Amino acid sequence: MKVIMAYCNLRADECLVNGKVVMRRDAGSEDSWFKQIYKQQELVYPKFYKMDVLSQAGYLASELIKRANPGIMEAYADDEIALVFANASSSAETDRRFVQSYAGGGSPSPSLFVYTLPNIVLGEIAILNKWYGENMFAVLPKFAPGFYLDYSEILLASGSRAVLCGWLEATAGRTDVFLFMVEEQENGTEFNAENLLHLSRTAAAF
Amino acid sequence: MIYIGAEVIVSPLGDNAEDNWQALSENRSGIALVPAAGFNKEDIHLAKITGLSGHLRFQQLVIKALASLEERIDASILASDRTIVLISSTKGALDDNLHDQFSETCTSVMQQFNLSHLPIVISNACISGVLALNVAGSMVETRQYEHVIVIGCDVASDFVLYGFQSLFAVSDKPCAPFDAARNGITLGEGCGAALISATKSVFKNPPLELLTGTSANDANHISGPSRTGEGLVRSVHRTMEKHGTGAEEIDFICAHGTGTVFNDEMEAIAFNRLSLADKPLNSLKGYFGHTLGAAGAIETIVCMQMMRNNMLIKSLGYCDAGTSQPLNIILENGPKKLRTILKTASGFGGGNASLMIRNL
Repeated sequence: MKVIMAYCNLRADECLVNGKVVMRRDAGSEDSWFKQIYKQQELVYPKFYKMDVLSQAGYLASELIKRANPGIMEAYADDEIALVFANASSSAETDRRFVQSYAGGGSPSPSLFVYTLPNIVLGEIAILNKWYGENMFAVLPKFAPGFYLDYSEILLASGSRAVLCGWLEATAGRTDVFLFMVEEQENGTEFNAENLLHLSRTAAAF
Repeated sequence: MIYIGAEVIVSPLGDNAEDNWQALSENRSGIALVPAAGFNKEDIHLAKITGLSGHLRFQQLVIKALASLEERIDASILASDRTIVLISSTKGALDDNLHDQFSETCTSVMQQFNLSHLPIVISNACISGVLALNVAGSMVETRQYEHVIVIGCDVASDFVLYGFQSLFAVSDKPCAPFDAARNGITLGEGCGAALISATKSVFKNPPLELLTGTSANDANHISGPSRTGEGLVRSVHRTMEKHGTGAEEIDFICAHGTGTVFNDEMEAIAFNRLSLADKPLNSLKGYFGHTLGAAGAIETIVCMQMMRNNMLIKSLGYCDAGTSQPLNIILENGPKKLRTILKTASGFGGGNASLMIRNL
């Protein structure tokens, strides 16, 4: 049976791992919300500071899943975990910042430009974990369980043994991040549309 | 069997696959010097479509390609709920709406062609086109859909040009993939579309067979190619293994070949590691420029035309060997029986993808 073994939700004001709130945003902090999570969770990966918001979101959620579920990734070879991510706004937040870098009399920023593609976050996660598996990033109008169900079915039937899925909406006004790990196991939360919708909204329920 | 056919290209070389083929067989390039196009008003070589201007250029191209494809198939399948459209693109309608680059095009295409499903956008940098074709083949293989239409499209923009200029990655002459004097990419715009289906009878002209492939990340760098070609090696290896295809069966390789020093070097290393270095190989970037999310679709379609015509097309812009490992780059057009070909792509984010096409 395909099951969701672990998941992480990042919302505007709270960070949840496997349905439990691990942190709430400090509205008085000068740090961005993602930087607050990075510091408070004592993560150490200096490249984090170079990343755009999409990559920061994917990095944080995937690291928190790994931390809360030790050994979850070790069961797989370096090309057996596929990454299937999607969102609605592509890399629009970083695109806007890149335009700002040159539209106001400045010069186009190469360090922003390299993040003006939504799939860069997949590269960041692959680099950090040394994963050589399948990658896909789709742009969809809204979170759609069927997309993950369909494409995971394809991947799990053709060489991948686990799929790290993600919905990554992270713009100036909106944080809606949901990462979940799909595996073949005998017990667990079944990987179906109903459960996915429920878990994606976990944060709102608490 | 998974069929692929009804192929369409809209590019600076023409509005359909046949006109594009005619241009390629005459080794005509779509690249031209555009005055003051650069960030500092430099003249820049670009492959732009004459007459494509104003608003909604992305949408115009996608609709034009799909309308042309519609004429080459049993058009009744478009409205079927067993049919879906995949659009592969990096920046979509960025110039029309920076904050929402795809919604309007997807909605318009759905309405205009009376589709049952909203198109799905696949955005994986320069491997988007090859990846979308693989997803399409897999969707048909697993019976999720009966028919999948892949439309790869990207349009030229200041945004992307200035970005590549900021990386010092734009060639000062038409790009010269694999050549010793190559020094960067030439950006292009265009659209390629094809139908992937398990039903042969929906194609008006005989289709070819799609041997769906795999993708693999380099796990190396977000904007620099791997020095070992590891991701590309793994992708091609798995694609060939999946279909039990031996190296001796590959008749031709349509490489990614962007014309940057490091990308082309990486590919040369990978093809040598794969024992495919002796295969006739080209890059089509010298004809179309780099069309980013459309490149994999457009170039796969050219492969199909090469197979239909049993003809190798020379790698435009190449003169002298310029990689540390040898490759068998096609120097002149020439006849060759093409039964099985390999198409590869690599891109930002460390992505690599490959597929094969077989002549029936």
